[in-house]
Amino acid sequence: MSRALFHAALYASLLLCALGLLWRMAGWYRLRIGPDAQAVTLAQRWHALLRGLASALFTRRLVQVLAALLFDVLLQRRLYRIEKSRWLAHWLMAAGFMLLLLMHALAAVVTVKLFPGYESTRNPYLFLRNLFGAMVLLGMAMFLFGLRRRRTRFAPARPPMAAAFVALLGFVLLTGFLLEANKIVSPQAFYRMAKEFNGSADPAALKPLRALWASEFGVAFDDLKEPIAPELLRQGRAMHEADCETCHARAASAFVSYPVSRLLAPLARALEDVKAHTWLLYLHVFACFLGLATLAFTRFFHAVAAPISLLASGATPHEAYSSAGRATQRALAMHACVACGICDAHCAVAPLARYLDNRYLLPSHKLVATGAREMSLRVAEGAFLCTDCGRCSNACPVGLDLQDLWQATRGDLAGAGLPAPAQWVKTRSALGWAEALQSDVAPQRMFDPDAREAPLSADRSSFSRCVQCQTCSNVCPVVAHSTDPAFAVDLTPQKVMNLLRLGMRDLTLGSSMVWSCASCYQCQEHCPEGLRVADIMLELRALAVQRLGAVRRHKELS
Amino acid sequence: MNYALFLGCKIPSRLPAYAASTRAVLQHLGVTLLDLEFNCCGYPARDLSRDAFVLAAARNLALAERAGLNLLTPCACCFGTLRHAITFLNEDAALRSRINEALAAEGLAWSGAAEVEHVLALLARVIGVDALSSAVREPRTGLRVAAQYGCHTLRPSKVARFDNALAPTIFEDLIRLTGATPVDWPRKLDCCGDPLHEANAALSEHMTRAKIADALSSGAEVMCTACPHCHLRLDGAQADTADPSIGTLLYTQLLGLALGLPAKSLGL
Repeated sequence: MSRALFHAALYASLLLCALGLLWRMAGWYRLRIGPDAQAVTLAQRWHALLRGLASALFTRRLVQVLAALLFDVLLQRRLYRIEKSRWLAHWLMAAGFMLLLLMHALAAVVTVKLFPGYESTRNPYLFLRNLFGAMVLLGMAMFLFGLRRRRTRFAPARPPMAAAFVALLGFVLLTGFLLEANKIVSPQAFYRMAKEFNGSADPAALKPLRALWASEFGVAFDDLKEPIAPELLRQGRAMHEADCETCHARAASAFVSYPVSRLLAPLARALEDVKAHTWLLYLHVFACFLGLATLAFTRFFHAVAAPISLLASGATPHEAYSSAGRATQRALAMHACVACGICDAHCAVAPLARYLDNRYLLPSHKLVATGAREMSLRVAEGAFLCTDCGRCSNACPVGLDLQDLWQATRGDLAGAGLPAPAQWVKTRSALGWAEALQSDVAPQRMFDPDAREAPLSADRSSFSRCVQCQTCSNVCPVVAHSTDPAFAVDLTPQKVMNLLRLGMRDLTLGSSMVWSCASCYQCQEHCPEGLRVADIMLELRALAVQRLGAVRRHKELS
Repeated sequence: MNYALFLGCKIPSRLPAYAASTRAVLQHLGVTLLDLEFNCCGYPARDLSRDAFVLAAARNLALAERAGLNLLTPCACCFGTLRHAITFLNEDAALRSRINEALAAEGLAWSGAAEVEHVLALLARVIGVDALSSAVREPRTGLRVAAQYGCHTLRPSKVARFDNALAPTIFEDLIRLTGATPVDWPRKLDCCGDPLHEANAALSEHMTRAKIADALSSGAEVMCTACPHCHLRLDGAQADTADPSIGTLLYTQLLGLALGLPAKSLGL
């Protein structure tokens, strides 16, 4: 490969990588998640960053940051606690990759400086290169094998270009091992080296060395006569010791490439004819450059964003962040999330996600929707069903403060006209909703609730036996506390029951009595007819979400 | 005596002292608590979809059933929700088969084998007031305590089967055995206001303040709770107000102190 081309490609990739990183990192200051983040200025966010950096580097917090670097970033302590098998897979990949990068890819810059005797074909380097590559491959295999859909039914949200990065990494490793295997079997490479170090490329003069290299180093000469005489091997070994041994360990030390080379041996001539060495080298090197140039836009960017997020969390506890700092942390979380789906597996409402067929209940999908500023009824349903149990944050291997993120998401949804049902029903009066139902959606006067979802509403006997004695209203704390017009309810439980008796259910759906029911069950406990008044209230809310939700959707569409 | 401890969503994140004191007290009394990875009890979906709410509850019950354990919860709302789900599953065969079909996807099933118990009922009925009384080492003599029952442990009584819903005594009995004095207060059985906090914050505050004022005027020094929602609401309403305030104490903390357990182990 020409040096000029190599360097041009290298510097172009580095430039693209740097520009990509800048663009992506600038995104942490462009994206605003949460109502409080809308209010902070860019200057405040930079100020928070500089103050955070200063306190992380120049105060006692440095100890915490260094501890986070060692335990959280390098040793992946959080992942180890949560899932040991995934930790092993990740550690194999990360450590193998970093060591390959330092020892092999940056050999001229790093290894040669640290170990002056470095030769890629000597041990331990030959063996280690195979070991590190094998670690990455093993880690990837464990990872792909472990990608099972968990109890959530939904696969975790995948960031864009996730598969492309995995494919590229696999391709780099594959071409690397093939390149080495091809070189092992290549007679051309043998003659080139022999000419340089023995001074001869004449097959006849090199006959003993050829014999030794064919039998012990795997070179696939197609003009070698078998069996090889032991005397020839002895002569070959002498030549090898004189000219080759200082730089060459036994090929079998390449414990991955050498077995591969045995498979390639019958094809050695054909591979030379098609210049396999040249194009494998180009593919290997340019795949690395491609990975470098696109680093900021593939899954690999998590290797930048996740450590920054972990170090920032290590420097300052989540609760100590200013709104400016939080704004940046939330935006950073979009890139630091590795989409491992561990949060989904531990989510307390995951079984609801499956049954309601709404993936936005699950943290990984909610995070992606938040980052994409997706505001829809489905996202809102997911956001407001979250119980804030904190299990996603506890399980997050990157240590994201997801509770803060969900709170911000709910604030943004409410701001966009998608608050929790208890809030959006307040936009009209009970009568207003009933009229809207008549005019917009369902001109029919009556509707039959689904006996499956609303068995009490579907069965007239559950309310027709009401004798209007008012006991429910008398024991209702909500009615008793309705002393202030600011929060007084429009109906009483007894009136709600009466409207049901009269077949005017639509008038109750938007009622503040129904939506302010504390579900304390005083009414139900005291009802002389044994009617399930509170259960009916809760059921009416479910019907309201469904039926009044249709009015909202109608409004959205028209 | 073995139970699967069902903490629900609020306790681990917002009130870890309740988990700590429950574990400390019950361990001291020889009850073994096991931790399964439960999901949400289903309460947040109660007014959204009946099937979804029952499924969430039934999955927890099925997990306990598979482990051969009964469920024990310190949360009144989780208790009420799980008991409601059991009632609905028992009275509706079609619902039962839909839910079991959904659970079967994970190899789970609900048969009704796992029972649900609230911590107060376990203490008063299973361990027993006499056994507890004789275990008290440091009685809290003279402390005047208002028992905050929590709605969902009591009502609807047909579902909860906890105590006489109109004139319960279980909490007072439990307070008395610690050496403290239960006070009689008119708003004892009222809602704490927490379920309305999202929907109607002003009304919720009004209800909470009324309870606190009533406990104070009845001569109580502390409100004793047995539900994280009640406890957090009563604490939260007092956080930023100049109104006269009253202390809050979880029952497991009160009992733990009387048993002579170190305050730190009770999250105090």
